[in-house]
Amino acid sequence: MSETTLNPSASTPLWRRSVTRDLVAVLILAAVAVALFFLFPSNLALLTRIVAMMLLVLSLDLVTGYSGVATLGHATLFGAGAYAAGIVAAKFGITDPLLMLAVGALAGAAAGAISSLVILRGHGLSQLVLSIAVVSLAHEAANKLSGWTGGSDGLSGISPSALFGMFRFDLFGRTAFIMSVVLLLVVFVVLRIIVRSPFGMLCRGIKQDPVRIRAMGAPVYFTLVKMYAIAGAVAGLGGALSAIATKVVGLDSLSFTLSAEALVMLVLGGTGKLFGALVGTLVFVWFEDRVSAINPFHWLTIVGCLLVAVVLFAPKGLTGAAEAIWKRMRGARS
Amino acid sequence: MSKLLLASLTLALTSSVAFADTIKIGVVGPFSGPAALQGKNFQAGIDAWLAINGNTIGDDTIEIVYRDLPAPDPAQSAALTQELIVSEGVQYLAGYYYTPDAMAAAPILEEGNVPMVVFNAATSAIVNASPYVVRTSFTTWQTSTPMAAVARERGIDKVITVVSDYGPGVDSEAAFVAGFTEAGGEIVESVRMPMNTNDFSPMMQRIKDSGAEAVFAFLPAGPATLGFVQAYVENGLKDAGVTLLAPGDLTQEPDLAALGDNAVGLLTTFHYAVSHDSPENEVFVEAASKAIGSASELSFPAVGAYDGMYVISKMIEATGGNQDAAAAVEAVKGLSWVSPRGPVSINPENRHLTQNIYLREVAQEDGQYINREIQTFENQGDPGWKAP
Repeated sequence: MSETTLNPSASTPLWRRSVTRDLVAVLILAAVAVALFFLFPSNLALLTRIVAMMLLVLSLDLVTGYSGVATLGHATLFGAGAYAAGIVAAKFGITDPLLMLAVGALAGAAAGAISSLVILRGHGLSQLVLSIAVVSLAHEAANKLSGWTGGSDGLSGISPSALFGMFRFDLFGRTAFIMSVVLLLVVFVVLRIIVRSPFGMLCRGIKQDPVRIRAMGAPVYFTLVKMYAIAGAVAGLGGALSAIATKVVGLDSLSFTLSAEALVMLVLGGTGKLFGALVGTLVFVWFEDRVSAINPFHWLTIVGCLLVAVVLFAPKGLTGAAEAIWKRMRGARS
Repeated sequence: MSKLLLASLTLALTSSVAFADTIKIGVVGPFSGPAALQGKNFQAGIDAWLAINGNTIGDDTIEIVYRDLPAPDPAQSAALTQELIVSEGVQYLAGYYYTPDAMAAAPILEEGNVPMVVFNAATSAIVNASPYVVRTSFTTWQTSTPMAAVARERGIDKVITVVSDYGPGVDSEAAFVAGFTEAGGEIVESVRMPMNTNDFSPMMQRIKDSGAEAVFAFLPAGPATLGFVQAYVENGLKDAGVTLLAPGDLTQEPDLAALGDNAVGLLTTFHYAVSHDSPENEVFVEAASKAIGSASELSFPAVGAYDGMYVISKMIEATGGNQDAAAAVEAVKGLSWVSPRGPVSINPENRHLTQNIYLREVAQEDGQYINREIQTFENQGDPGWKAP
């Protein structure tokens, strides 16, 4: 997947190769989704939840993996999307799922842009602390505004109408799952285009050396704010999806715990790669769910052991390890 | 003749589930993490009920399927509940420690044709979320309201309320303030403390300065209550005669040993004390202590689970083991029995328990700290419930 595997002597133009690769990536994702749909017809609610988490982790990857912003407060954007979609449905009667998604994306983008103004003021550790402050403030604000958010009881009374007026959100979660997969595919393609664009390259440059980028005359701060707004829209979509599928929004969607968990999933999958975010989330949440079903009383220990093992033996995450093995195999063959 | 054959065939087909089946009950609760003790109490209540009554009802065998939900997480609760219904095929759902989790499970009950028996979550509005919700615990309104009468009976005119700033804390404050002002008392100040407050000394100073004769406090059961009670004693409020009044979450039995002498004499109102004196409770405490491993870990969620199992058993009896949520819920409306906590009945209107609320005083007995019941408020409904 990385740039080094590109063959410079290939005669096809770069954009066409990118399109082919995007198409292959989308086909792989769609094939996996279809396989999961038929293999695990009774776990679709979990799978939908995983897709919502994937959007959050993708969004985190944009700011952390691609732009080098350290944050432990990324759930702010997810929660903003979830609450915005929930509130328009529960309080204003806007129950069309697509509209709810749009509202969630807008709210997430707004939250991203605004919170980035604060978070980007710091660097390194102070940035991390600022991000935690932002998520704590958002959490407390949602707790205080219980008239709007339901406070710690959660925002309930969200009843999304049928998708396109035809497909009801059923008990098996088929509609929600299919909608979430289509959403994920669209977001994935858009993000691939964005990270490959000059703008995406600029962000990567800022991650490597912000001083040099500034010396080149490019606006570091503004570029990152823009990236944060994009990331916010993605996380907001995840939040809105979660609100539609769950029909309840809780304070946990604005919590430090969720932010930290998202970072763990990203590290598990591998930072700076969109596939890494997807793989990390799928493996982490699926593993967690299986282990906690097998032993509901001591499963946290086992999850902890998995994380320690990954950090020790695959410091670049699962995709990083897979890439290394792939390269070694190719090296052995040639 | 053929009609008869057809009829018997239809009967055999439709009632086939009634013959010696395994009925699964899905239990969702905090079985790991910081609230694991409360989950263990769910389990103890269930195990106690099974130990006393056996795991068969009629021809059917009960099987419990546990799912862990360590902290409030509605998205996970919805996913677990859906999976329990669709893939485990549970006929009954039970447990649910936190309100948002119960709220997230409620919308799928009707389509899943599954009744839900809430063992703990204490917000009044949960029963309105679905007609298939039955609750065997309490509501914060229910346990807090009688304290207003207690305060007035003791000649207290001025009270300051101090609550943790989250749903149940706000409910508790609202319940007490409503009852107390109606009875002619005066609330001098209402303070809400952030959830993770650990240093309560400034709060105690504020209580002193307010000139109140008593403080009404709500904190969730657990570590924070220890710091609060300690600060109350160390800052001289106890010696100064400022009475501490609280719902029983503040003095749940597993915390009493750590609270120690500081807590002696504290007044709390609650629906259940492990020391409740009745033959039913004796049987329950013995079985539940055995299930949990040590009597000192036993707490109120266990009795919610125990009574919940009783309600589910009645539902299974009424439906003959067939999956029919509407009939099951209908069958237990108005049901009354003697629980380990005292006489209880299910209010047919809101499917919540009408029960005695007791005034208890922390006391030392045989070297152990207990909540000694000293006054009974009989047949209390849920004053916080509003018809949808």
